[in-house]
Amino acid sequence: MAGPELLLDSSIRLWVVLPIVVITFLVGVIRHYVTQLLHSDKKVDVQQVSDSQVLLRSRVLRENGKYIPKQSFAMRKHYFNNAETGFFKKVKRKVVPKNPMTDTSMLTDMMKGNVTNVLPMILIGGWINWAFSGFVTTKVPFPLTLRFKPMLQRGIDLLSLDASWVSSASWYFLNVFGLRSMYSLILGQDNAADQSRIMQDHMTGAAMAMPPDPNKAFKSEWEALEIVEHRWALEHVEEELMCKDLNFGGLFSRELKSTMF
Amino acid sequence: MSSLSAEMRDKLRKWREENYRNSEQIVDVGEELINEHASKLGDDIWIIYEQVMIAALDCSRDDLALSCLQELKRQFPDSHRVKRLVGMRLEALERYEDANKLYDSILQDDPTNTAARKRKIAILKAQGKSTEAIRELNEYLEQFVGDLEAWHELSELYINEHDYAKAAFCLEELMMTNPHNHLYCEQYAEVKYTQGGLENLELSRKYFAQALKLNNRNMRALFGLYMSASHIAASPKVSAKVKKDNVKYAAWAATQINRAYQVRERAVGTKSPLI
Repeated sequence: MAGPELLLDSSIRLWVVLPIVVITFLVGVIRHYVTQLLHSDKKVDVQQVSDSQVLLRSRVLRENGKYIPKQSFAMRKHYFNNAETGFFKKVKRKVVPKNPMTDTSMLTDMMKGNVTNVLPMILIGGWINWAFSGFVTTKVPFPLTLRFKPMLQRGIDLLSLDASWVSSASWYFLNVFGLRSMYSLILGQDNAADQSRIMQDHMTGAAMAMPPDPNKAFKSEWEALEIVEHRWALEHVEEELMCKDLNFGGLFSRELKSTMF
Repeated sequence: MSSLSAEMRDKLRKWREENYRNSEQIVDVGEELINEHASKLGDDIWIIYEQVMIAALDCSRDDLALSCLQELKRQFPDSHRVKRLVGMRLEALERYEDANKLYDSILQDDPTNTAARKRKIAILKAQGKSTEAIRELNEYLEQFVGDLEAWHELSELYINEHDYAKAAFCLEELMMTNPHNHLYCEQYAEVKYTQGGLENLELSRKYFAQALKLNNRNMRALFGLYMSASHIAASPKVSAKVKKDNVKYAAWAATQINRAYQVRERAVGTKSPLI
């Protein structure tokens, strides 16, 4: 469905498209540095660190328990899972639900997040809408339905115009998401200018070093450990070893002296 | 001469990442790098200062250690990491009280700082107070179960105290987290062999075999396999089948040892001992 091909003034390209790209990029970089300046170190709770390491140890026991003797494995499983004295049964952590309204640190974090990310986006979006309105900026390469017209063609009231022609505001939003990879190229992987990642974080919730409910984690770990059986990997190790001669390749060359012991 | 400095930088980085303790070499290379090529290092210079400082403490080069430390203190005045280095220098000068006070102040500020806690335990070890060191290390490990370095240190302390059962427990932790490391298997097997008793000898034989399976060139494991197998075979309490099996294992180990000597003779041309 090819509508009439509009020929746009080339000065649009020079004075609208490129400046918007440059502005978006620079604002993103500035956002990254401002976030770094305002960033406060998260205080880590000893208890949380300890719990996460315990869970790690239990997982290692499940996965690699077959490399230690049966009795050692039984001893450790007993330590974790015993009905009365087992760690996962006995230890109940007091869980304080982190209410975003009352928990001060989370409140300040949220505010900082809002100020550095949402506010500039609104401000600049609005300014671009005001400054660069009344003309189409570019054409998206795929056809769109009429529904998109009011959204993407702000300020242009032409009923017959193809919805693929968009105004500068939509070009701005395209840039905000498109320049993500540019940011990671220039600022390194973990940069604060990455908008969509921040929105992702909002979705997954407050997942820090530990899930907010250690008790649930303990319970699931207990269940997982209960069903694990010990199948000793070293049962037939001698037979496996002695079926062929040892490979002494490179044993006495200079560089490998250290592997002898 | 920038390729020379790049080469030295790469060497230092390799030693740093693979945790080498060749302090004399580090001091030589690092000192030259800092004195001659400081401008070409950029931000790497700080971590090189740290690496060279620790190596200088190992070699008793207090002058070099002090100069590195002063540069670091000037750049990072409030850093816990630098404070720990200050503490390490105090330890090297045997001013243990001052070092302890320093580490306590770090811990007051940040109770999760594992480095300071481990240094305190190292002080106890240096002063020869091994029972207290063991106790402190146990408490540390109760909180930070995942610290492999600490488990290894504890196993060493227990071996020195001849408490082999507990040393074996620590080594089991290490073996579980690093199942492909033949050295842990071999150390575990040696501890089991030292403990003695038929069951432990069987276990030690199995783990020597495992270490050998993981690394065919581990000579100590080969000798260990031979010794444990012959020990079991020689014991009066075993059944005939077990005896026969162990004699077979010991014979196989002996052939492999002979082969190794032959390989060495071909490679080196002399008939000198293997270990």
